[in-house]
Amino acid sequence: MIGLRKIEKSYRRGAEDVRALRGVDLSVDKEELLAITGPSGAGKTTLLHILGCLDQPTSGEVLIDGVDASRLPEAELVKLRRDKIGFVFQQFYLIPGLSVYDNIALPLLFSKKPASPEKIIHLAKRVGLEHRLEHVPSQLSGGEMQRTAIARGLVNEPEILLADEPTGNLDSDNSEKIFEILRSLRRNGLTIVMITHNPELATRADRTVRIKDGLVHTES
Amino acid sequence: MSGYLKLAVKNLLRHRIRSALTMLGIAASVGVLFSVLSFNNGFNKGLAEELERTGLHFMVVPSGCAHEVAALVLHGAVIPKFLDTGVMQHLQETSGIAMATPILVAQQPNPQKERIDLVYGVDMEVLSAIKPNWQIEGKIPSQDNEILLGHEVAKHEDLKPGDVFMETADGMPLIIAGIVGLTGSQDDAFVYLPIQTAQKILERPGAATAIGVKVSVPERMNEITDALTSAVPGIQIVTMGQVMNSISNLAASARALSLAIVLIAVLISAVGVMNSILMSVFERSQEIGMMRAVGASRRDVFRIILEETTILSLTGGVFGIAIATLGSKLIEAFVRSVMPFVPTGSLISFDPFLALGSMLFIMVIGLFAGIYPACKASKINPVEAIKG
Repeated sequence: MIGLRKIEKSYRRGAEDVRALRGVDLSVDKEELLAITGPSGAGKTTLLHILGCLDQPTSGEVLIDGVDASRLPEAELVKLRRDKIGFVFQQFYLIPGLSVYDNIALPLLFSKKPASPEKIIHLAKRVGLEHRLEHVPSQLSGGEMQRTAIARGLVNEPEILLADEPTGNLDSDNSEKIFEILRSLRRNGLTIVMITHNPELATRADRTVRIKDGLVHTES
Repeated sequence: MSGYLKLAVKNLLRHRIRSALTMLGIAASVGVLFSVLSFNNGFNKGLAEELERTGLHFMVVPSGCAHEVAALVLHGAVIPKFLDTGVMQHLQETSGIAMATPILVAQQPNPQKERIDLVYGVDMEVLSAIKPNWQIEGKIPSQDNEILLGHEVAKHEDLKPGDVFMETADGMPLIIAGIVGLTGSQDDAFVYLPIQTAQKILERPGAATAIGVKVSVPERMNEITDALTSAVPGIQIVTMGQVMNSISNLAASARALSLAIVLIAVLISAVGVMNSILMSVFERSQEIGMMRAVGASRRDVFRIILEETTILSLTGGVFGIAIATLGSKLIEAFVRSVMPFVPTGSLISFDPFLALGSMLFIMVIGLFAGIYPACKASKINPVEAIKG
């Protein structure tokens, strides 16, 4: 499904050259729930952004369904993100003035697909938010906001869902709920890559990859 | 509502006060722009109508400045020059002249009251034609011993219709037939009286500061004026077209200055829009990063930001034009108080084409103001934005 070959990523931070990734090789299978762990600054988020075609590696190959995304122009990358990849962030990034319904439907605006109410309601039900559709983010709990963000990540029917610490801002109850949703999505055929600092959740993933100092340290 | 539009509206509503203030800045500049342009139209139209109402084709005046004549005809400037009595006689003997009406405007010291009166002598029918919108308490004088007072003169002396204003040198009392309501112009300072009475109290029988002339066949006007100029020395002929041009030119200079100021105001409001939108782009950079991650192209982001500026410009434009239209009476009153000559009647009338033109102008300015923030937003690097 996804293959990373010798991924290097360097960037400048002030006067300093940072080597965030130093030759990462990683493959993610179809319908797999992969957890990425590691200390802060290890390069986890950079790796996730490269997996999601949001960032380009300095060198190496990013193969998504056999296509090397590291060589694609910006317009193609936008299309790839729209069609194949969904994102979930630790800070949710919901649009404050929009209802849960409109936040879920937002990516459809960019993919120019019709926002059918049935589809949005179906997604809301899948994450347990069918009773909150008209609420705005400020009326939601942290867990509800993250569930809204997951539904938004699924609305374009992606094959891969990338989640950057989706439970990082949540208590254990809500973390458990979010993880259960991710597991059920994986059971329904979605490929999920999730960064987490929660060792207990990581052990329950299909596979865990530990990143340290820009390298894949251990796989289990 | 399209998705982009809805998103843009919601974004603007997140900072209601900031958006409202930016919109008000646009509204103020569009309102003033629309008022100045409307005033231009209304002024010229009003001036043409006013000159038309006099029924006169040209004025005969002592050689001098045409601007003075223009001011004299329309609001009674004092020119310390008089036409010879022979001019009137000459006009009456010239063929092709339907009517010649003398106008005598002068300062008259009044030793009884220790003041100087501004006297405007004219045929009272001509006066009614020139000033159709005057609100008169009482009536227009119909007798030689009746006069009409400007509002300020009457107020200063606490006079009312029926009172005696003054006595002529031979003891004839001048009775106030009417008092002109407040006009806010120099009209308020004059004493209007029949031409013969004015000549009498000024002790200048047959004198005139100017003579208004109506010709029987307007097509022959040039021929008549040429003949008069060559036959009568010391006179100047000013046609109503020239009077109109003189006043229009004066007004045009004021208008050009106003427009320059308005354009600066528009520019300032455009910078306000740019600043406001740019600020909101910086505040929302993480959100924009998220949108890029979930599939928005640079063009999508550009479009959202540009729609925000369009909404601000559009609402500001509509609001500004509505306020300018509703407040046109106040603006008119202000203009009348500061300009030396303003035609009677409505100066600012709602012209849909002008309103549309002003709207289009501000929309274009708004779009230009939005381009920079929109470019800036579309170039936000999603990775850096999401990292914060």
